[in-house]
Amino acid sequence: MSRQSTTARQSAFYTLLLTLCLGLLACSPTDTARLAVSNPTITPTGPASTASAAPASSIHPDRLLIPAIQVNAPIEAVGIDRNGDLATPTRNPWEDTGWYADGPLPGTQGSAVIDGHLDRPGGSPAVFWLLRQLRAGDMVKVHVSNGATLRFQVTDVEYYEPQNAPLQQIFGDSSGIYLNLITCAGDWIPNQHQTKLRLVVYTRLISSH
Amino acid sequence: METKQSRLSWGGLALLLSGFCALTGFLLLPVISARASTTNQAFVRIIHSSPFVGTADVFVDGNPFLTSFAFGAVTSYAAVPPGPHKVQIALVGKGVGAAALTETLNVQPGGVYTIAAIGTAPTNLNLLVFKDDNKAASGTARLRVYQLAPNGGWMTLHDGNESLAGVNYQQASSYLTMDTGASSFSMASTAKNKSLSLNATLKANTVTSIFAVGMFNGTPGARLVSAQVAATPGMPDTGSDPAPLPSNGQWSTPWLLVALTLMAIGGTLFTRRLLSSRW
Repeated sequence: MSRQSTTARQSAFYTLLLTLCLGLLACSPTDTARLAVSNPTITPTGPASTASAAPASSIHPDRLLIPAIQVNAPIEAVGIDRNGDLATPTRNPWEDTGWYADGPLPGTQGSAVIDGHLDRPGGSPAVFWLLRQLRAGDMVKVHVSNGATLRFQVTDVEYYEPQNAPLQQIFGDSSGIYLNLITCAGDWIPNQHQTKLRLVVYTRLISSH
Repeated sequence: METKQSRLSWGGLALLLSGFCALTGFLLLPVISARASTTNQAFVRIIHSSPFVGTADVFVDGNPFLTSFAFGAVTSYAAVPPGPHKVQIALVGKGVGAAALTETLNVQPGGVYTIAAIGTAPTNLNLLVFKDDNKAASGTARLRVYQLAPNGGWMTLHDGNESLAGVNYQQASSYLTMDTGASSFSMASTAKNKSLSLNATLKANTVTSIFAVGMFNGTPGARLVSAQVAATPGMPDTGSDPAPLPSNGQWSTPWLLVALTLMAIGGTLFTRRLLSSRW
């Protein structure tokens, strides 16, 4: 009886610790990217004698929905911070997402970009905590202020060091109608006060209604 | 019993080590992924600035890239795979076999380029490559001028009475940081003693290009063409300090507290297990 009890306690103890390990594994903010090989194509672009800048319109994206990771978040307009980097949401920093309002409106030609925090101070999850779980084929929806719903499909998931990220590709690819989602990833670097990597989820418009 | 307990202890430790090894390997994977990224394309835009070629078709690697590309037109940036590409330009509708220009250009991963089709004579066509930098300057506008008018010689860009930059044929200025708002630009040719003008609104966080194209005292006539693109910001800082200093004497890190509690319980149980197995 005593031996059985001891064995049961041992099993329970090791199970607890193993569960803890697996739990950490599941919750780790540093996930692996699927090594998707993009399929770049040379896309014709129409001549534009004088290109216009960011769309000057009262229409704006309202809400971001990503069913696969249970995201249903308001979208704030964000600009560029004093360092020249894309700013992050300020109204509700951890729950909202931020649309780069100097770039294209989601659903228009070009690469619209929405960012969101990975975590809060202390490490608890923020709006894009589970962004790393997205895979090619997953759906991303944007509700626009004019009532339209845009449906995008994930085409690629990539991790970059921030100083080596392909900025033109993320923000300036106008060969199609894209929406790119950005959050942080990788280890926290205390002396830089940032994470080592950025996660970019590339999506392409598939329908609008 | 001793033997069985010992086996259980070693088995448990093995399980623990496996868990930690998996965790460690897992944490390293994103670095490998970042290095293995394969989507770093190059981006090119093309301006038709050859006065001696009419509306043209452009082919890249033998495939149609642009059709009915008119003199003075500027494309938006298009993604192309890095590496060498054969660029051919033919009069519209003539097909790639009648190309007036064939040239191989090599573009780098992540590179951003303006490619100008230029020429000082019908038989002297060429492609001129400028490396662009569309990074944002917070809250301001950036401006660059390209001199592509064959007989314009040295030209100076002015904003009102202020001289901004001087460039010779086939040259581009450095990037200028400008105040935002409406501007009346002029670009004067010293050799021709003539000036071209252009009104443009410089918006915050944009990059504007001004191209001088065409022929002074000729056809098509010299003029300024502008193109404005949204600047590319740096990557956002969307992470948070996992262990910030407590503020106001409060624990601001509940997750850390939970983790420490679990570690304390685990450590106590494990120590007791080791002690009991020795006795």
